[in-house]
Amino acid sequence: MKRILFGLLLLLWSSITGCSPSATSATPDTVRIRWARDPENLDPLIANNPSSYEVSTLLHCSLLNISDTGRNIVPWLAAASPQVERLGDSLMLVSYSLRPEATWDNGKPVVAQDVAFTLKMMNCPGLPTEMDQAMFHFIQDIRLDTTDSRRFTLVCTGQSSDYVRNSGDFSILPEYALDPKGSLRSVSIRELRSGAATAYASVTSFVQRYQAAQLAQHPDNLPGCGPYQLKNWQPGRFLTFTRKLKWWGDALAKAPPILRAVPKSITYQIIPDAGTAMLALRRGDIDLYPLMPAAEFARLRRSDADRARLSFYTVDSYECVVANFNTRQPTLQDRFTRQALSALFDVPGLIRATQQGAAYRSASIVSPRVHPYYNDSLPLPTYDTQQAITLLRKAGWREVNGQGWVRKQAGKLLELRLSLSYRAGDPALEAAALQFRAAATAIRIPVDLRPTEASLLVQQLREGTTEVSLRSIGGNPAAYDFTPLFHSNSTSLYNYSGFGTPASDHLIEAIVQTPDTAQKTRLLRRFQRLLYTERPIYVLYFLQYRIAAARRLGRVPVTSIKPSYRANAIDFSPVTK
Amino acid sequence: MGRYLLFRLGRTVLAAWGILSIIFLLTRWAATDIGLQTLQDAPTLGRGLSVGEQTRIAQQVRQRYGLDLPVFYLSVLTSDTDTPAWHPHWHWNGTRNQYHRWLRGVVQGDLGNSYREGTPVTKLLLQALRYTLPLTVSATFLATISTVLLASWVNYYNRWRGLVLAILHGIQALPLFLVALGLLLLLANPDALNWFPAFGLGDDTEQYSSWSEELLQYLRHLVLPVFSLLLVALPGFVVQLDGAMQQELREPYVATARAKGAPPVQVVRKHVLHNALLPVLPLFTELLPSMVTGSVVVEMVYALPGMGRLFVEAAAQQDLPVLLGVVLLVAIARLASQLLADALYQWADPRIRLHI
Amino acid sequence: MTRRLSFAQWLAVSWLLLVVVSACIAPTSSPVPDLLHTQEPPFQDPHWLGTDPLGHDVLQLLLAGARTTLLISIPTAVLASLLGGAAGSVAGFWGNSTYQVQRASAAAGVIGAVIALLFIPQLRTNPFPVGLVIGVLSCTVYYALRRTSWGQRQIAVPIDSMVQALIALLDSIPLLLLVLAIAAVQRPSSMGLVVLLVLTCWTTPARLLRAVTLRTKALLFVEAAVVAGLPTLRILRYHIWPNTWPVLLIRLPLSIAIIIGLETTLSFLGIGLAPEVASWGRLLASIRVAPAAWWLLVWPGAAIFFTILSLHTLVSTKITGFDKHLDVTK
Repeated sequence: MKRILFGLLLLLWSSITGCSPSATSATPDTVRIRWARDPENLDPLIANNPSSYEVSTLLHCSLLNISDTGRNIVPWLAAASPQVERLGDSLMLVSYSLRPEATWDNGKPVVAQDVAFTLKMMNCPGLPTEMDQAMFHFIQDIRLDTTDSRRFTLVCTGQSSDYVRNSGDFSILPEYALDPKGSLRSVSIRELRSGAATAYASVTSFVQRYQAAQLAQHPDNLPGCGPYQLKNWQPGRFLTFTRKLKWWGDALAKAPPILRAVPKSITYQIIPDAGTAMLALRRGDIDLYPLMPAAEFARLRRSDADRARLSFYTVDSYECVVANFNTRQPTLQDRFTRQALSALFDVPGLIRATQQGAAYRSASIVSPRVHPYYNDSLPLPTYDTQQAITLLRKAGWREVNGQGWVRKQAGKLLELRLSLSYRAGDPALEAAALQFRAAATAIRIPVDLRPTEASLLVQQLREGTTEVSLRSIGGNPAAYDFTPLFHSNSTSLYNYSGFGTPASDHLIEAIVQTPDTAQKTRLLRRFQRLLYTERPIYVLYFLQYRIAAARRLGRVPVTSIKPSYRANAIDFSPVTK
Repeated sequence: MGRYLLFRLGRTVLAAWGILSIIFLLTRWAATDIGLQTLQDAPTLGRGLSVGEQTRIAQQVRQRYGLDLPVFYLSVLTSDTDTPAWHPHWHWNGTRNQYHRWLRGVVQGDLGNSYREGTPVTKLLLQALRYTLPLTVSATFLATISTVLLASWVNYYNRWRGLVLAILHGIQALPLFLVALGLLLLLANPDALNWFPAFGLGDDTEQYSSWSEELLQYLRHLVLPVFSLLLVALPGFVVQLDGAMQQELREPYVATARAKGAPPVQVVRKHVLHNALLPVLPLFTELLPSMVTGSVVVEMVYALPGMGRLFVEAAAQQDLPVLLGVVLLVAIARLASQLLADALYQWADPRIRLHI
Repeated sequence: MTRRLSFAQWLAVSWLLLVVVSACIAPTSSPVPDLLHTQEPPFQDPHWLGTDPLGHDVLQLLLAGARTTLLISIPTAVLASLLGGAAGSVAGFWGNSTYQVQRASAAAGVIGAVIALLFIPQLRTNPFPVGLVIGVLSCTVYYALRRTSWGQRQIAVPIDSMVQALIALLDSIPLLLLVLAIAAVQRPSSMGLVVLLVLTCWTTPARLLRAVTLRTKALLFVEAAVVAGLPTLRILRYHIWPNTWPVLLIRLPLSIAIIIGLETTLSFLGIGLAPEVASWGRLLASIRVAPAAWWLLVWPGAAIFFTILSLHTLVSTKITGFDKHLDVTK
């Protein structure tokens, strides 16, 4: 009996371990990419995480897109960059013309009426599209051209050049799929926003149709004009997209990268753990591993066996890690204290230890890679404890018999003691926090570390209860509107440092308003100098994105903006090295 | 017996209701404002939006999730209102409150919709259970069998006992994520032994010639996660059962059994094991809830979208309906396991009488 | 009474002594990161056991971690076991019907609790006078009812059900959520963490002891003691406890291991010990950042392993001794 059992076990074991091939070899035209998380919601108007944004770019097209370097806008569904006309001192007209080749899956052309439908849909009351309503609130109305069905004009409030870029940044959706009778055509965007539209029967029936379509889980109910369609989605495991057999972009003579669609199928494997993803890449289970951890990336790059199978890319991003000083706290009210504290961060050491040297420094919030705008006359702050002491004395702090620092403020004796908040579980931030604490303790400033859970941290930042905090800011090289970050009007929302003087507010507004590049450069450089001396935030470093890919993919097109690659433009051309 | 069961069941339902209510209130009070959270998510917003617009949008989000209502039937009045000091500072909100709506939904089998995905929570739970249950049930089954076998074995072959227990303690010293990662790096690594797949359950690009091959593939994917769960569960059980058996072995009845000539294996198997299992029973029934909750670590490492991940992601993003759904399931499993434990006691030792 | 320790036990004692000594000699200031020497492999001067991804010396971290284990993990495990053991034996012994109180005191307690609940806002603003009023009120109720025949009758306190409900409540709230909820209000200090862990981890020992007490209670000598009218505490102390506590003791090394693991997870989530406090668990967890650094696995892993093994060895000794004692009494 025992022997039979043993034999059976042996048989099972050998069949489980032996019979199948080690790793499935992928078919030639497919790409398998690692994602850390599931997109969760595939409704293009609700997309709120990097994965779902990427899905939108495969299924749908927007009017405009950002170039690989991240600095310019390129037309996508629009035939060319929009024409801008400024009216009075607050209105702006942005005119687009759609690509004549663009069609929906049913062969009908993409027309301005579809754009109008999309705008109305996102403003429809009762739909869960609040985020889009907030983001595109500046688009007041759409005017359709009576002579050309592909031309239209967006009426925008505000004249910032950022609005031009933002005005083309939403997926255009087909009217025929959700509103075949065109029942929303008679309702204006303004009526929809005011909420008066709930009285219309057409609106309520549209909302019902929208809800019945369950777009969050069934994107096939809303076929977009992008080159791919969703074939299979196992939530939490993988998503597979296949290329449409016939797609309008094929007819384009010289397609820009955003309008190419080479891979026959793209699979996203959801692997939350970085260690598992690394193993999967090395086994050949996935072809592309974006945003790789620094240490592992460096280790793979050094190994001969892995270099033979994989190619490695790094690309300068616009995402930076900053220390944020809450200027509303009494200890952090003056700029010398803030300058002194920033001299306690050993930035070169941190770049070396946490990013393996793959990050770059900057003296301001503008990336040094953005050439005319970056103020290169600012010196990089150095890690210098002596200087920190000098600056603290300058700020009125004095040392009490080797115990700590105090100063008189508002008639009371104030002790210099800080808390440092950061998102819990982020090793790079924790490293910076520990280094800062050690440096501060050495000059007898007690620092209390507060690793905080993400949503709680955001709440504390908004309420202004933190003191010093560390976070990363996903920068955008084409946006120079600092209103959310530094304007005194935004202190209840995104201006976590609580910074804002009349002079800085004025400068921010001037930068937004000016259309002239030379003038903008001058103003931006002045603003950077102002931030440098006032130091409401201290930029530790800008990150580099790291991508490892199987060699069979050819040269992977990488971008400075997340997701840091263009899956649709991977062309499998052999790399010559 | 029927009356006893009915009574127990009623009490169980009551206890589940109490637990869930407490957790409902706790999470609602501790959660951050989801309306403002939505505004926070939009990366390029804030400009051109007046404060009034912001509050309107935040209010709209809260309304959609039903969070604009008071949390409970009663709410505390702020102290500056002009009620006299001897008057209870409570305000009666009627049935228009979040708790009432939620409870009504639960009674009707509706746990609400997830904030993040918009899908019904029940569907999400079922989806996650489909991945978790095969994993945990097989791990539990194997753990139970190997515990009994291993504990009987070490008590019979006493000289191996020290070594086996030492090894088990060594395993116990390792956190689960190390065990899971270690197995992965050992058995699914092109540099070491490449026996098993690294993650997931296989994808749909693979074509299988027959169902048996498909089943085999599925099993292959399950081996490592099940084995890591097994390794982590085993030491606790074996040590506990072994302790109980060691105690039983000194009882006079063992000497009697030996004296009457029963072979040692029989003594361990027939007499000692039965008695020793009793104090260890709660440990096994405790497995039922953990079978439902799954294991976050194993699901993370092996990329399986089970209950553990569902819960942790819901907690991180404050998806309250999903959070409560998971807790409901755990509470039910927990209470069921207690019923089971009591029933097992009676079965194992009829001397124990549970009084109503 | 003195018995000779075996070789293994000697080793166990010396390891535990070593842990205690290292806890004493460990530097009191938190270690300084050396960003120029990160992830250095061991056996090199001056970092003989290597450095972690932040350039902390692993040896120093191990020493400091010994203190954390001594001051936090072990006390937590012991306290949780004691609390759980007490609750479990009380629940198992008294069950739902054995422990009885006068109706008068029960009514007074219930009334006091209800009034306190109604006046929570006032209690929060000025606890002393309101509390006094409530206390006087329930005392009055008690004295009024004490004389009546209704008030003099006894009712059973369902202690078993109460303890079980508490266990069910604590176990159905996943620990993670509970800790997150508490951390949302106030991040716990080291002492707070101990209290939090004790209050959440006592359930498993409680269940174990409840089970074994139920079984012991049914044995003849306990029934004889009850029939003989011995005081309850005496029965618990001399008849129940000697038969039940080994179950708890066997569990102890495991509990300590679980607490160390739990503390690791909590530290990883950012709720546990403050990030500057070194612990063995945190050192182990840092291998996630640097999977190739085997020394981050081996040294703390060995430290945890030997500690748990030593405790286990000593615990087995104790149990053997205990059984001899039992044989004598029988």
